Amino acid sequence: MAPLLEIDRLSVSLFTRAGVLPAVDGLSLRVDAGETVAIVGESGCGKSLSALAVMRLLPEPPARIVGGAVRLAGRDLVTLSEGAMRRVRGKEVSMIFQDPMTSLNPVVPIGAQLIEAIRQHNPISHRAAQARAVALLEKVRIPDAARRLDDYPHQLSGGMSQRVMIAMAIACEPKVLIADEPTTALDVTIQAQILKLMQELQAASNMAVVIITHDLGVVAETADRVAVMYAGRKVEEAPVEALFERPLHPYTRGLLGATPSPARFGGRLADIAGTVPSLAELPAGCAFAQRCPLAFERCRLERPALSAPLPHRLAACFATEKEFSRDGAPVGS
Amino acid sequence: MTATIDFARRFARNRAALAGFALLLVVIAFAITAPWLFPRPPLRIVGRPEVWPFLSWRFPLGTDSLGRDIAAMVAHGARTTLLIGLFASLTATLIGVTIGATAAYFGGWVDEALMRFTELFQTIPNLIFVLTIVLILGQKIAYITLAVGIVTWTPIARLTRAEFLTLRDREFVQACRSMGMGDVRIMLREILPNALPPVIVLASLVVAGAILFESAVSFLGLGDPDVSSWGRLIGDGRTLIRTSWYICAVPGIAIMLTVLALNLIGDGLNDALNPKLRDR
Repeated sequence: MAPLLEIDRLSVSLFTRAGVLPAVDGLSLRVDAGETVAIVGESGCGKSLSALAVMRLLPEPPARIVGGAVRLAGRDLVTLSEGAMRRVRGKEVSMIFQDPMTSLNPVVPIGAQLIEAIRQHNPISHRAAQARAVALLEKVRIPDAARRLDDYPHQLSGGMSQRVMIAMAIACEPKVLIADEPTTALDVTIQAQILKLMQELQAASNMAVVIITHDLGVVAETADRVAVMYAGRKVEEAPVEALFERPLHPYTRGLLGATPSPARFGGRLADIAGTVPSLAELPAGCAFAQRCPLAFERCRLERPALSAPLPHRLAACFATEKEFSRDGAPVGS
Repeated sequence: MTATIDFARRFARNRAALAGFALLLVVIAFAITAPWLFPRPPLRIVGRPEVWPFLSWRFPLGTDSLGRDIAAMVAHGARTTLLIGLFASLTATLIGVTIGATAAYFGGWVDEALMRFTELFQTIPNLIFVLTIVLILGQKIAYITLAVGIVTWTPIARLTRAEFLTLRDREFVQACRSMGMGDVRIMLREILPNALPPVIVLASLVVAGAILFESAVSFLGLGDPDVSSWGRLIGDGRTLIRTSWYICAVPGIAIMLTVLALNLIGDGLNDALNPKLRDR
């Protein structure tokens, strides 16, 4: 069966004065209905740009899709006209953003904003939309929903605002929900509530969810499958338990090692040596080679392609390949 | 409802603005009641020429060189002056907001082209431009209003553009796009309400500017000959400025007070609408 959302060798470049920078380089990812896929990586690795590219909301200029396809139930979104794309946004794919406080229009009551979102794709009366707005607010667990309609965004807390944002995103029952760092701006207890809410909504509607985050805690709590991105490329993909149990790419290992945990309390916070190379100065070989403890000659000369050293797993690393070929495990897919 | 009360309270905190508002109300009251207070056509000759103000009950503000009632002309003139001010400002706001918003929202060459167009208008001396348009279109009150609107929209366009530029890239606009909203809808329903407060303040000041423009046009004898207006009164009285200076002074004071009132209201609106000054 074809996946619901299939990102196929998607490339996004930034056209700047310094030259053309490959911000997303040949990203492939498939997401099925009812599945949650997390895209993980540090700032600037291209995860947010990938999400915006799927929505066709890249800031143009400087960013532009330069190759690949994004297929939603078989239909390529990259080649759709702007008008057709507008009918996809909100109705088939919707998005929630990082900071709920700034994602709501400050001068419009939340009820009016919700009604606007509902009526965008549903030709129903204002009155019917209002009833639906109350139902949506109840669905995202906002107490006293009917009275909240007239509230302005500044009268809501961060968690409340994010609930309203989620209500707006699911207003037209999209098939895919992209959440770009949905909990980064919230404190930890609220974060857990919001993630739980998203899971419940997903279970009820069989939505596909793409969650973009740099927080491995969020990944562990929500995702079925994880894609790790580094400098614009997917370097590893795995089911979530497998990834935490045995990360294959040295960068993933570094990320997991750098996560603070109570067990190691008091010790020095682990980090990955060096910094992410700038997109303008990407090395010829593996982008992670300079920081990688396992790097050898080949890593600096040649860019590793994704291979499947274990079933359902992908990694782009020569060291991993070498290790598994020595073990006699199958190389390549 | 509470928002309206809130707004009124913030506006009233500025005493000068409140005074300006009261003054403007008086002028508006005169403009509205003019046909009942002075039922005869204001431009008709009704008495001896050059009666000084406060000497006769029949002509409380005196008569001009032809024997027309100055009080009647000032009251009827208030209608013309206020209507020209209001509609010229509306025209200017409509043009300015459309151009400024389009330029900022679409950016790139659209912005470039529209801003050069705006600068072109800015470089033409305003009064000469107004006179030229009036001379081409004709000495009609509607054309004068249009002409004043056409020369005063540039600051509104620049202000709207600046506001839109900062709002355009805000996350809530992005969120609206991600829900499938179209450009026009985002501009009108989402961004414009956020950009409007400073534009309203400027528009209130443009009303004052428009009144001055109309006065200048009428003073130069290019106003609508069938309509009484304050500028025209001053123009008519200027030949007698040595002997009967009150003919110029009465409408002059009316203009001064109205423009002052509008400026004070502009300040008050600025205090009441400026989010940075809120809740102090």
